[in-house]
Amino acid sequence: MSAPAIAVENLEKYFPPALTGLRSLLHPFARATQCALGGISFTVEPGEAMAIVGHNGAGKSTLLRILATLIVPTRGRAALGGFDVERDGQAARSRLGYHTGGDEGFYARLSGRENLAFFAAMNNMMGPAARERIDSVARLIGVADDLDRQVRTLSTGMTHRLGLARAFLHGPAVLLLDEPTRSLDPLAAADFRRMLKDDLVRRRGTTLLFASHTLSEVDEIADRILLLDHGKLLACDSPRGLRAATGTTSLEAAIAHLARPSAPPARGFGERSGEAPS
Amino acid sequence: MTLARTLRKIAAFFWRDFSIVRGYRAAFAFELVEALFGVATFFYLSRFVESPQLDRTLPAGSNYFAFALVGFAFFDYMSVALTAFDASIEEARQNRTLEALLVTQTPLRVILAGSAVYPFFALALRTCVYLAWGALFFHFSPRGANWTGAVAVLLASILAFSGLGILSAAYQILFKRGNPAKWLLLGISGLVGGMMYPVAVLPHPLQVVARLIPVTYSLEGMRAALLAGAGWRELLPSIGALLIFAIVLIPASFAVFGWALRRTKVTGTLTHI
Repeated sequence: MSAPAIAVENLEKYFPPALTGLRSLLHPFARATQCALGGISFTVEPGEAMAIVGHNGAGKSTLLRILATLIVPTRGRAALGGFDVERDGQAARSRLGYHTGGDEGFYARLSGRENLAFFAAMNNMMGPAARERIDSVARLIGVADDLDRQVRTLSTGMTHRLGLARAFLHGPAVLLLDEPTRSLDPLAAADFRRMLKDDLVRRRGTTLLFASHTLSEVDEIADRILLLDHGKLLACDSPRGLRAATGTTSLEAAIAHLARPSAPPARGFGERSGEAPS
Repeated sequence: MTLARTLRKIAAFFWRDFSIVRGYRAAFAFELVEALFGVATFFYLSRFVESPQLDRTLPAGSNYFAFALVGFAFFDYMSVALTAFDASIEEARQNRTLEALLVTQTPLRVILAGSAVYPFFALALRTCVYLAWGALFFHFSPRGANWTGAVAVLLASILAFSGLGILSAAYQILFKRGNPAKWLLLGISGLVGGMMYPVAVLPHPLQVVARLIPVTYSLEGMRAALLAGAGWRELLPSIGALLIFAIVLIPASFAVFGWALRRTKVTGTLTHI
């Protein structure tokens, strides 16, 4: 049996408090006491699209950054395709594409093509094969016409697409996206969601884990939803399952119900991950 | 990772930086003129510097202008090494490319090495410009120079300085800005390293300090190769000392940088500005 695309077991992350002034000098290595993730567990199967939902500070970005090997967990384990992100970061990185929803992270004076060629080289793709791959991914993501313009002249939406093209360039099995339509206008966002769901997930079987505050987007793309609150896992189920479990008709109402402090656990919680709530 | 793949990745870094700089052609032209002004300043300054003690310590057949020109041109390798690595980290953090780089399949040591290739290449060009201006207009004559020896000293110097540069980058990634150790090291190196005057004219305690920093050996070796045409046997002490610095500093600096990077991954401050 193949390993899940993403496996997270009892993952905890504590950050040290942000100190300023004299206190930062007196305590340069202060103990990590602020909980960002409090022992969450779940799995994502290959080809599945899972959304992470929660308030600001719920731990969504921290979870994605741990999976992207940019943050080290305090305790617990996270693996991509069976490769531990902490112990075997290099192998895990070969399986992931990571993109935050901003229009940053490029060399502004280079063209989109030059940027993609550089990052392709960093992912071991060079020469004619890299050039062909850049062209095919640019067509897929919809940036082919603007590929030879300097990045500083591109619109926010186009730069954003370029970011997704970079994340997808080496054909990763897992895409990690942090608020993927944050800076897009409604039409571009709809187009982007269609492309994510139809082209990358359905047609190519890419596993997608994305954080979002837009519930219509979550409803449209996600097979399952991971609901976080202050680093705790409140629920992990399909949109339909969450609605049924809470007896509500909309996803918004279901999540509002679950995020209430006194809300009972949702039916179907952790069904596919087989994990108990922490 | 194979050596060929590593070299191609380093070439990608070089091409990236070259492509960015290519957009600023006017700045390159201004640098050429600036170098001419610098060389001219040394030339006219050197006409007023005369001392029997200085003459005794200069390489045979040399003069103070040639001595200062070589010192000035090659001291820059120390400055660039100490700034290239942390500047590349800072720039990547500012333009948000650091995270994008760190999630690729390129090891940290290749990212660091690649980031420094273009700055050293540009400096090598600048050094040639300095020497060319000196030769064209100010009677600087490296006719009897041991050029292969000079290249060997230069490569050993770059290796030794790079260790210090990576340590500086470790400080930068951990504490974000302001690196007092870098400025202290540059200040001490400028004072006792022999950039503008021979180490022999310094008081004894400062001469001892001079022996503890790599730039002293670099400038001695470079002057011996370029101004006195010294052979390999005479260059060996300088090259050997520089290689010892490199052997100690490079693994230590990579270890410290790896620890600093991990620390920022623990604290979540990797991309904080």
